[in-house]
Amino acid sequence: MIAVLGLIVGVVAGLVVRPVVPTLVEPYLPIAVVAALDAVFGGLRAMLDGIFDDKVFVVSFLSNVVVAALIVFLGDKLGVGAQLSTGVVVVLGIRIFSNAAAIRRHVFRA
Amino acid sequence: MSDGDDKKHPGELPPEEPAAEENREESRAQSEYPDAAPKPEAGKAGEASDTPDTGKTQKAEENPDARGSSDASDSPEKQGQADRQEEGPPEPSGESSSRTGRQRLAQAVWPPRVTRAQLIVALLLFVLGLGLAIQVRSTSENSSLRGARQEDLVRILDELDDRTKRLEDEKQNLEGQRTELENSSDQAEEARKQTRQKARQLGVLAGTVGAQGPGIELTVTDPGKAVEADMLLDAVQELRAAGAEAIEINNVRVVASTYFSDSPGGVRVDGHKISQPYRFQVIGKPQDLEPALNIPGGVVQTLRKEQADASVSASKEIVVNALRSVKRPDYARSSSR
Repeated sequence: MIAVLGLIVGVVAGLVVRPVVPTLVEPYLPIAVVAALDAVFGGLRAMLDGIFDDKVFVVSFLSNVVVAALIVFLGDKLGVGAQLSTGVVVVLGIRIFSNAAAIRRHVFRA
Repeated sequence: MSDGDDKKHPGELPPEEPAAEENREESRAQSEYPDAAPKPEAGKAGEASDTPDTGKTQKAEENPDARGSSDASDSPEKQGQADRQEEGPPEPSGESSSRTGRQRLAQAVWPPRVTRAQLIVALLLFVLGLGLAIQVRSTSENSSLRGARQEDLVRILDELDDRTKRLEDEKQNLEGQRTELENSSDQAEEARKQTRQKARQLGVLAGTVGAQGPGIELTVTDPGKAVEADMLLDAVQELRAAGAEAIEINNVRVVASTYFSDSPGGVRVDGHKISQPYRFQVIGKPQDLEPALNIPGGVVQTLRKEQADASVSASKEIVVNALRSVKRPDYARSSSR
């Protein structure tokens, strides 16, 4: 519950405060957000499975974000940033979908 | 993480484990597998097994047979993905004895408990929500440029530069045209002005417009009716030779085509009968015109010899008002284009 509140508060804060994102971080924000979404879906699934652990969630969340940003950064340096970020988004999208499917089975039993 | 690796290990290398152990361990590992994806999350499943240990072992022990057989064949990494999808359905049934996922969800959501886990997750979700909102906002508010990559930006910039150059060229072109048109319209205006001026000058000569200026007035009184057409013609010739520019005799304008003919009791000028006194209104330089008439043997003397009287008076303002209508020539055509 508190976690959901945290999400809502974050969204509201982002909309209201309009923080300025540093230009350096800007290209990685979308990918980081997608990676974080993936971690959140994984965490939700783990919770439904009854194996949720906050430590694991924190580590997976942070490492997901960092790795995703790192891949994009590397891609930019190698000159394949656009393609690589597309690839990352695709992979994360697949993971989100499979996690969502598991969550769906838990919640709707279908 | 190292903890997780240890736990995950048995799942990845099942053949080396004892059979009885394998079923138990592996079914756990497999059931946890979906979260043990190859990415950073990998550690989660393994570590997670530490905390809810009692529930897990219980579950694993309850249906080892149902799962063990299928799991054993699925153990290689390659089939992990297939497992993920196929494994979903059996899980709820396996957990139904303790708690279903739905119940867990309800339990987690409703009575809000302030625990360390909840707080940490809330913090992370706060960060996620923040990033999400920022990204959505920046994407929606600043068109497509904000999220564009460097090479795209460079391309867009190039295109804009090209476009700017094209537009600049066009602008220069149009400005040139404008200047040209302005000049030409100026020239046209100037030409019109000159043409009007010329038309007025020619109008004075042709007698189609009135004229005024310095000049003289010659009055010839002829009580004896001795004055004939040739004498008036002489006077006109003399005046012209002295530089007269506009001449009018008794309200008849004298122009290039003017002719004089005798008629009983007077003279005809251009067919108009006029009678004495003959009044000449002449515009020209008075200092030239007056002596021209008064010279010995000139017009005035000749007229006096014929018992007529001629008087000349200079004036600063002579008005020649008599007009002639222009007759369009029937045969003569301008030879200049």
